[in-house]
Amino acid sequence: MVTITVDGKELKVKDDVMLIEELLANSISIPHFCYHPALGKDGNCRMCMVEIKGQKRPQIACDTPIKDGMVISTKSDSIQEVKRSILELELINHPVDCSVCDQSGECSLQNYYMDVGLYESRLSTTKVHSRKKVDLGANVVLDQERCVLCTRCVRFTKEITKTRELGILNRTDHSVIATFEDQPLTDPYAMNVVDLCPVGALTSKDFRFNKRVWFLEPEESICNRCAKACSIYVDHHKAKYEADAIFRYRPRFNPKVNGYFICDVGRLSYKIENENRLSVALINNEQNNYDETSKELKSLLAKHKSKILFLISPSLSLEEMLMIKKLEKFYDAQISGYDVNEYDKDFGDDYLKCNDLSTNRRGLNLLNIDENENILKEALSGSEIVVFIGRDDIEILDNYKNIQSQICISSSTPKNPQSYNIYLPVLTHTSKEGSYINIDGYLQFSKAKVLSQNDTKNLIEVASELLDEKVLSCEQIYKDELSKMVDNITFNEIKIQSRKLSSI
Amino acid sequence: MGIKVVPRHGSTFVEKLYLPTIAGGLKVTFSHFFQNLKDTSKIKTLSYPEQQPSDITSRYRGVHRLTKREDNTISCVACFLCATACPAECIFIEAVDREDGVEEKMPSKFSIDLLECVFCGSCVEACPKDAIRMDTGIFSFVKKKREDFVVDIDTLLSYKEFKGDKS
Repeated sequence: MVTITVDGKELKVKDDVMLIEELLANSISIPHFCYHPALGKDGNCRMCMVEIKGQKRPQIACDTPIKDGMVISTKSDSIQEVKRSILELELINHPVDCSVCDQSGECSLQNYYMDVGLYESRLSTTKVHSRKKVDLGANVVLDQERCVLCTRCVRFTKEITKTRELGILNRTDHSVIATFEDQPLTDPYAMNVVDLCPVGALTSKDFRFNKRVWFLEPEESICNRCAKACSIYVDHHKAKYEADAIFRYRPRFNPKVNGYFICDVGRLSYKIENENRLSVALINNEQNNYDETSKELKSLLAKHKSKILFLISPSLSLEEMLMIKKLEKFYDAQISGYDVNEYDKDFGDDYLKCNDLSTNRRGLNLLNIDENENILKEALSGSEIVVFIGRDDIEILDNYKNIQSQICISSSTPKNPQSYNIYLPVLTHTSKEGSYINIDGYLQFSKAKVLSQNDTKNLIEVASELLDEKVLSCEQIYKDELSKMVDNITFNEIKIQSRKLSSI
Repeated sequence: MGIKVVPRHGSTFVEKLYLPTIAGGLKVTFSHFFQNLKDTSKIKTLSYPEQQPSDITSRYRGVHRLTKREDNTISCVACFLCATACPAECIFIEAVDREDGVEEKMPSKFSIDLLECVFCGSCVEACPKDAIRMDTGIFSFVKKKREDFVVDIDTLLSYKEFKGDKS
């Protein structure tokens, strides 16, 4: 640790990193385009200029190593003038089409113009025009005119995905980002360049013109597409007279799990969430009132007491699994977490995707819920009623004539709703809280609570009603029962960050 | 911005006596009363709707209209700034890709609920493209059903600019 002085304030900082990292870590605003913590410095945009005492010229903070006793100025009139001139140069051929640009509202150019720009355009010749709305494939749309050539996207394909698809063509003010001979992007992480792009040059085709970003409300959650469970922001909005809907997922920085990125499949899985939010209760495939359906379910379970099998999905949260275990005891039932469907041997890779598609399979191990196929078969032959919780693999019952009723309690409407006597929808992943253990043994908490427009309840509420118990919040269940199973990690700790479990 | 200090009235002796100023006020009232009694033609009240107002100016904030470009296509680019600025949240827009090469984006739906609208003019001020104006001079909008007050994009485009006083 060394001491530096920034704008007259002394700061204790690390000395083995570049200046910009520590300035940003101390919430000092430094405009920058090309520097990104995941991609490092490139030094091409020149926006992060600071004045350092003893140096003749302003220096770029992204390529200046920290030295003890540095005296830095980021706000003086002369450095503001430098930044203004650089920004003017960056913006010289920019089309300023913010009104149609999806980036506006979260655009670095807009922000820096308001911070240090505020000049009148001095350009007397026509701007250089290049291609707009180039479909790069993989849901990425390129606008070459809006680009500031920071090369974050180029470095992403070079350093992170190693596919080297993007590059810069031509020279001087004809330089543009492009793929070789317009070949489409194909790598499964391509949409991250949309988040990386500090301006509106790379935008998402999926999100294109769907919503202006300033309407969106971000909620912290974790992705439920595979067992990696990357941290995400769920951007949703409830428009007037319309149901609350999710418009996109964005990666949320988590150094322990996913870093700065997520995969495209996970990113687009918000669509399933939106579909599931519309599920309604069914009795014998006919739409029914939610409360009546839940009463019907209760009486059916009471009738078949001790002949019940709860087939639970390995994607339920730990709190939900605990409630189902209580149900198991209450109804003298059996419980199984055996599930082959939430596994895809072709999905995984060596980065952020894994073959296990369940969000919480390790939670089953923690709570000692059985996953053995033979025990499941035995349980099936002795049961009269099977309750599918969070899953829909009815074909598992094909050879069992002894099963009288099938029940599905899940957020998504079953593929064949006629095969179930009762279908009771529950709140979807992004509408409920819960803690999960990912494939690497990290305990994480998903906070998103996107409102549901119908009277759908969450699984904890449904289970509490079946148990005739008071409905407990996730926090209470965690504190009462879970905390001692997970190395005494407190609820507040996992609310802030993912914690590795030593026992798993 | 400078602040202008306005002196508070009512501190002089005559004003504190109260009655002289009351009499002054009544004098104005009664002078108008007798004047109008003698000659009814100068009364400001209109027998609306038989008599229509003649003092609607071109800057009067009437029902909105969507403007067109020189090539007769819609100016609006569906940037949502009007809907963002609207305090009544009565502007409903849906955006699509514009395929004719004039712009990238255009509204496929643009409706204003005139029952919710407070006619504040914030949408006109917010528009970066001069695509929405309130210069139709339409001050009375009468319909039989609630739904008819939600004016759609075609109707908004069909309204014309109102120039000058109605006479």
